[in-house]
Amino acid sequence: MKFPAKIGVVICFFVFTSCYESLDFNQLNDYVYKPVFTSALTYFTVVPAQFFNTLGIQQNSISDITQFKGFQNSYIKDNLVKINFNAEIKNEFDREVTILVDFLNKNDAVVYSFTPIIVEGGNLNFTFLEEIEIALNKNILNTTKVRISTEIENTKTQMNPADTREFVFKSFSNIIHRIKYIKNEENLIFCTDFFSC
Amino acid sequence: MKKILFFVLIFSAVKFSAQNKQVLYDFAELPQTLLLNPGAETNYKFHFGLPLMSGLSIDLGSSGAVLTDVFAYDNINIDNKISTLLNNLTTTDFVKFNSQIEVLNGGFRTNTKTYISFGFYNEIDAISYYPKDFFILFSEGNNPHLNKSFSASQLLYKFDVLGVIHAGVSRKINDKLTAGGRFKIYSSALNIESSNNTGTFTTVLGTDNIYKHYFSNININARSSGLFNEDEVIEDSDTYVNNTFFGGNLGIGFDFGATYHINQQLEFSGSVLDLGFINHKKNIKNTTAKGNFIFEGVEFQYDPNNPINYWGQIDSNFRKQLPTAENQESYISWRPVKLNASLKYSFGEIRSKICYDNTYKDFYTDAIGVQLYSIFRPLSPQLALTGFYQKSITHKIHTKVTYMIDDFSYANIGAGLSAQFGKVNLYGMLDNILEYRNLSSANSISLQVGFNVIFN
Repeated sequence: MKFPAKIGVVICFFVFTSCYESLDFNQLNDYVYKPVFTSALTYFTVVPAQFFNTLGIQQNSISDITQFKGFQNSYIKDNLVKINFNAEIKNEFDREVTILVDFLNKNDAVVYSFTPIIVEGGNLNFTFLEEIEIALNKNILNTTKVRISTEIENTKTQMNPADTREFVFKSFSNIIHRIKYIKNEENLIFCTDFFSC
Repeated sequence: MKKILFFVLIFSAVKFSAQNKQVLYDFAELPQTLLLNPGAETNYKFHFGLPLMSGLSIDLGSSGAVLTDVFAYDNINIDNKISTLLNNLTTTDFVKFNSQIEVLNGGFRTNTKTYISFGFYNEIDAISYYPKDFFILFSEGNNPHLNKSFSASQLLYKFDVLGVIHAGVSRKINDKLTAGGRFKIYSSALNIESSNNTGTFTTVLGTDNIYKHYFSNININARSSGLFNEDEVIEDSDTYVNNTFFGGNLGIGFDFGATYHINQQLEFSGSVLDLGFINHKKNIKNTTAKGNFIFEGVEFQYDPNNPINYWGQIDSNFRKQLPTAENQESYISWRPVKLNASLKYSFGEIRSKICYDNTYKDFYTDAIGVQLYSIFRPLSPQLALTGFYQKSITHKIHTKVTYMIDDFSYANIGAGLSAQFGKVNLYGMLDNILEYRNLSSANSISLQVGFNVIFN
């Protein structure tokens, strides 16, 4: 065989006998990624004076409220599977403090409440974890506001408004998503029909 | 059919950079070599390429990842495969695609020393570096990566669809030196690019709260032209095709090159290609985000006399401190400049071939040499070093084998053949032929084919 013919044969060989390993693109149907985002939440520090009204009378409960639009984002709403709420609390008060966290919808109706967080007086290293499975608590996705109430134990003894001891609340959440790469039938058909190997 | 579909998949799955045509460079005096070196020597009266068939080239590659990494039948959980792939990727890994189709190509000799060539081709050129931090953030979240700074600088991509009208001149200065230049008018149909981004997102332990999030020195830009018309995505493919020929986004560029015979057997050639830019001013949509933002959570005040809209306050601060904006400002995109250099030593049997002026020119049947190729990419220049062996079987049949080292492989073997049947010239070349045993695991493949009609 002459040299050009050899070259021709070699090139034809590569062109017509090129191979590829079978690939399974349907695996993408099973691909699920589960990102976990950590986000700082609320924090506050209160002192005894904040439990006294302008008349100097002690109130055993104070509360504050914030709008919350996190669940209005469709990406979060559609893919959220679990929220782990974590809090670290330092209670220097001489009495028990209870934290109530309520999730409210647009009508101010409670759609989800945490287990009351009860911190005995003098506990400086209290930790709290509330795990919320979205599948079991879908109403929480209707949340538009969050209210946090701080109640002090009624010990019959009034706190000293000049007392500098603090109640410190810090929190964060781990937001767990579960996202399927392929969600709709169209993509599925594209993969199976065209690239089944 | 399956193979065709397989290639279609690669084109669609791999994000779409001009290519190294190491086999075609300085090969067999093909008209297409003038596009790689306008100072290349030619030896014919005139030529024309068969419209749409004179030059088709495709080059695609992916460093750091191949299809089998994810899609092989290996009974490994795909979540684990993708996780492993993401961990193995580096910030310099990239995917690229380049395709050129010559619509028109021709040339003629004005005198014994000067050859004019011209034409029009369409090109798709794309490169994207893997934004590893983005992939990790969106697939794993920030929770497993506290204290890690997710960098926006890894967001680096460029995608061009354009038409190029060109005319060049190759002139023999003396017996040793041939020099040439080419003028190009670019017409961009589509440009999408993002580069020179800065900024990081970091979650660290806080002071007032448990964690604190930092968006630091954010300066992200994404530019596009030809994609949107008044906020609507242009879906009509004809619009893109039409815009490759004197659309609204025009630019100019130059190629320069030379061939120098150091002695009868030793030859040096080199070229600079696509020294130019495109001024994008039609159907522009640019998006920017710039600033710093620190978030440590919502601090409740428990002040019933001064209720605070905490969420509104944070939202307002975020928009103020890290504003995103859109604009329609024109911008310039630079073409990826390419450099070629080659040193060739000819040897073997001396043969004669008839020239355009009915004289005879001696040539050696064999040649070996080295070629250096570099293309300037957004992150850094990419280099390829090629060793080659050329063999002229007859004065009408030429072959070339190359061995190249580049970003994708240390053993890229290519081969090319040019044959002339009467006036019709046929050429074809491909590289990375070792990978043809299993294209699924190939990091890169490229090929060029075409037909010319050449008159001596």
